[in-house]
Amino acid sequence: MISRFKNFAVQQSINHPKRTLIISLVTTFIMATGLKHFVIEDDMMKMIPKTVKTRIVWEEVKDEFGNTELVFVAFGNDSIDLFNSKSLADLWDFTTQLELLPEVEDVRSLTNLNKMENDNGFLLIDDLVASRDLSQQQIQEIKDYLNRNDDQRKRVISSKDNYFNIVVIPDKNIADRDAVAKIVETADNLLNNYSVHFGGPSYLIGVVGDLVRGDALFLIRIGLLFMVIILLASLRTFAGVMMVLMVIIFSLVGMMGSMGWIRVLTGSDRFVFSIMNTSMPIILMTIANSDSVHFLTKFFKKLRLTGDKKIAIEQSIDSLMLPIFLTSLTTAVAFLSLVFAPLEYMTGYGVSIAIGICWAWILSVTLLPSLIMLKKWPLNSMAVIKPSFLEKLVKKIGFKIVKIPRTILISSLLIVSIGVYGIKLITTEVNLVTFFSKGNKIRNSLEFLDDNMLGSMDLEFLINGDLKDPVLLEQISQLQDYIEQNNPYVSTSFSIADVIKQMHRTVMDDNPDFEVIPKDQQKVNNLYTMYSMSGDPEDLSSLVDYEYSKALITAILKNHSTNESVEFVNEIDDYVEQNFTKYNNITPTGQYVVLRDMVDLVIKSSIISIGVSIVLISFIAALFFRHYGWGLLGIIPLSAAVIMNFGFMGILGVHLNHVTALLSSVIIGVGVDFAIHYISQYRRLANQGLSISKRTSGTIDEVGYPIVLDALSNMAFGALLFSEFIPLIHMGGLMVFAMVSTSFGTLTILACLLELIGRKETWISSLIGDY
Amino acid sequence: MKNPFRILTLFLSIIYAQNGLEIATMVDERDVPKDIISKTTMLLTNRKGKTRTSTILSKSSNNGSKQILWFLAPLDDKGVAFLKIEHDNKADEMRMWLPAFKKVRRISSSKKGDSFMGSDLSYEDMTSRSLEENRYKRLEDETLDGKDCFVLEVLPNEDIKSTYSKHITWIVKESLIAVKEESYDLGGGLRKKKKFFIDSISDYHVINKIFVEDVQKNHTTTLTMEDIKVDSGLDHSLFQEKNLKRLPRN
Repeated sequence: MISRFKNFAVQQSINHPKRTLIISLVTTFIMATGLKHFVIEDDMMKMIPKTVKTRIVWEEVKDEFGNTELVFVAFGNDSIDLFNSKSLADLWDFTTQLELLPEVEDVRSLTNLNKMENDNGFLLIDDLVASRDLSQQQIQEIKDYLNRNDDQRKRVISSKDNYFNIVVIPDKNIADRDAVAKIVETADNLLNNYSVHFGGPSYLIGVVGDLVRGDALFLIRIGLLFMVIILLASLRTFAGVMMVLMVIIFSLVGMMGSMGWIRVLTGSDRFVFSIMNTSMPIILMTIANSDSVHFLTKFFKKLRLTGDKKIAIEQSIDSLMLPIFLTSLTTAVAFLSLVFAPLEYMTGYGVSIAIGICWAWILSVTLLPSLIMLKKWPLNSMAVIKPSFLEKLVKKIGFKIVKIPRTILISSLLIVSIGVYGIKLITTEVNLVTFFSKGNKIRNSLEFLDDNMLGSMDLEFLINGDLKDPVLLEQISQLQDYIEQNNPYVSTSFSIADVIKQMHRTVMDDNPDFEVIPKDQQKVNNLYTMYSMSGDPEDLSSLVDYEYSKALITAILKNHSTNESVEFVNEIDDYVEQNFTKYNNITPTGQYVVLRDMVDLVIKSSIISIGVSIVLISFIAALFFRHYGWGLLGIIPLSAAVIMNFGFMGILGVHLNHVTALLSSVIIGVGVDFAIHYISQYRRLANQGLSISKRTSGTIDEVGYPIVLDALSNMAFGALLFSEFIPLIHMGGLMVFAMVSTSFGTLTILACLLELIGRKETWISSLIGDY
Repeated sequence: MKNPFRILTLFLSIIYAQNGLEIATMVDERDVPKDIISKTTMLLTNRKGKTRTSTILSKSSNNGSKQILWFLAPLDDKGVAFLKIEHDNKADEMRMWLPAFKKVRRISSSKKGDSFMGSDLSYEDMTSRSLEENRYKRLEDETLDGKDCFVLEVLPNEDIKSTYSKHITWIVKESLIAVKEESYDLGGGLRKKKKFFIDSISDYHVINKIFVEDVQKNHTTTLTMEDIKVDSGLDHSLFQEKNLKRLPRN
């Protein structure tokens, strides 16, 4: 079949180049029309399978208590006391405007705070701030009330009275980015005389996607420019580089368009573009670049030897059809293995990129030769007559490997073993704050909220039990004390127990001794009934459910790492187990808990994908090269590169998150290409009867240069190192590292292994067999 | 026998076209019982279909401006009692008996939009609507369940700080009693739909069931009044704090 397609490709490229070009253009255009159905999705929570326990709990919490993802807004000025009529009126206007937004479910600020007081037996649950315009006396009364109720005070204003704190709860049915955009717009319109800071998980999710994508897009373009420059310097032909670029862009458009078409035709939400997909375009560009670079360098080599364009194209296709087909097939299969991933969204990632890879393969063996055919290549040009500096350098490396294969192999394996050690050091971090480097505007805002207000994160605990039972209410109260006193990150927490305690004190003539949970259940019942008569029961709906069987503790925290979060949750589990005698059904929830599980799934997905890919690649290589030994050899450089990648991530402190975990795919995509090109050429030379001593240097001479050029040009995506977002910096660094490790794995470990095996006559005869 | 002059006035005013205020005045002036005693079952249903049921013994006079309630069920609330006395020129008086604390507490009524007993009726909904505090506009008459109705648009005056921007009320021409109402929030969006079911007791048209739906919160309240007694001669001294502590036998 490959042979038939090879003949077809040769025929079409040489005899009908224009027709091939037009067909490629039209097909790419048809695929590109799918771009209008291309959807960007920033809600990472949607990507977690509905069967994951933390998502189930989280959905239950949202359904019962409304949205728990908060946006924190702080505004004020370092030098002014906000207890003045103008600032309070501004807060009133801002709160009112936010409440009117359809994107907002609820707002909690000083101006809509309830006060609960007992004045000579008169129980008052009323608005603390009665109107927009306040007299000095009213302002003083508000201040006095807050001074008597410190818990409420610290939720709404900073300790120095110079910043208001507003908690905004976006509508749970609206995307965070839309809600955040409206909140920020409202602040821009009304608070331009103040210093304004934003924070909270919803805010971060709302802004991170667009910012990271925008920055990535810009830097990818820069990377592409660098890639062009590197290719130009090495290939020394502008037309040739433009041809490579054309294949890359057509492949990219084809992949993105297909994603849109599949989404609209299947109605599946798995085919959306999220922050996790940021690596997709880079991966495809490297693969498409790889195919084209191999073809173009082969063509120039053949043209140099034959002096005939047609023959050079024919020989290039003949030589590269199988390896390019195999590299594309193995890489596509590797990505398709993501359909086995526990994270369902990875299916869209895998299928779309597999389509892109196949399209890149077809374009490399049809469009690219046709473009080459259409161009007149002067035989005296530098690109044709003289090998480049890089080409000569790689040739020298080939000779070196033949001389000291054992030393090189052992040294390489030592480096890989350092990687094995490093894997143990790898850590997971999902805190979105770590996406921003120090000095970044968003990071500054978050640090401000941590230093001056309550913090910028929240964590919830879902409690199941009889919420009218004083035993459970007392346990909740004690748990809150425990987390507030034992965890330096917790600024405050609130729950239904706080309301019951405050009502108890109020009913008992405002005696602070009664700010405790009553011992008698009838008293608790009376307090609940009293609230329903005197306050708005809706006030309690975010704290306790309709049937008093579920409650929520919300803790506001300062920024901390995922590991600290996990430790914190574990400590609470221990505390609950030891102290909660009657009720122990307490589950931590909130965006960070769910996100932590999602990253675990991304990592599991990556591991499954790596495992399945390695097995499939090995099987395909064994099948096409007709010996299981080739299957094993094919995956050695790939496995070494994967180990080195994760190992060095651990050593260098690069965290695993939903962006970096997927970069192993780049290694698989590119690593397998290099190995297959190498093996294919080695077998070819062996079957051409080349002596054992010349096979390695011959192979490196043929494929070493395109491998190094490919790796070097792909390193252009190291431009991402200049991003202001840490995951992109990591992505850039990992791209460079992946290129080094994959080319290193092929040109040292695989080359030395084959050289050493080649010296054992029986082994190599068994491997080569009939070609 | 009711005053024949009033009946004649009513009859004549129905025949001749009235404006909104005239209709509202007729409704305001219709005959109502001096006092009402009922056993009310309140069924609350939230958006998820979960329910809460309470049974209350209610005694009221002066068209509901004085009211005393005792919770009979559920068991958790039994014995809790509530007294409300509306005043024209000062804040309404509301007191609550908390049997577990053995204390009576006066509670606030200043937030008109707050829910009454956790229901979809707010204190504002429960308070008689004063003619002077609203503007009335007559809309085109409609037929509702086979009964001819006036349709009034009621616009609260700005100075009364209502939580509503307007109400549309359907009033049966024959009985001059409202059977349906839609209330709109300050942003102009539909907030509540109310339905009133009427029974005739001792020549009075008395509401025996109220259904309220808060369309924004997707929450409903059904109040069903049973054992309704009218004009039983309730003594004004009943509406005192001391009576909250004793759950009456009937």
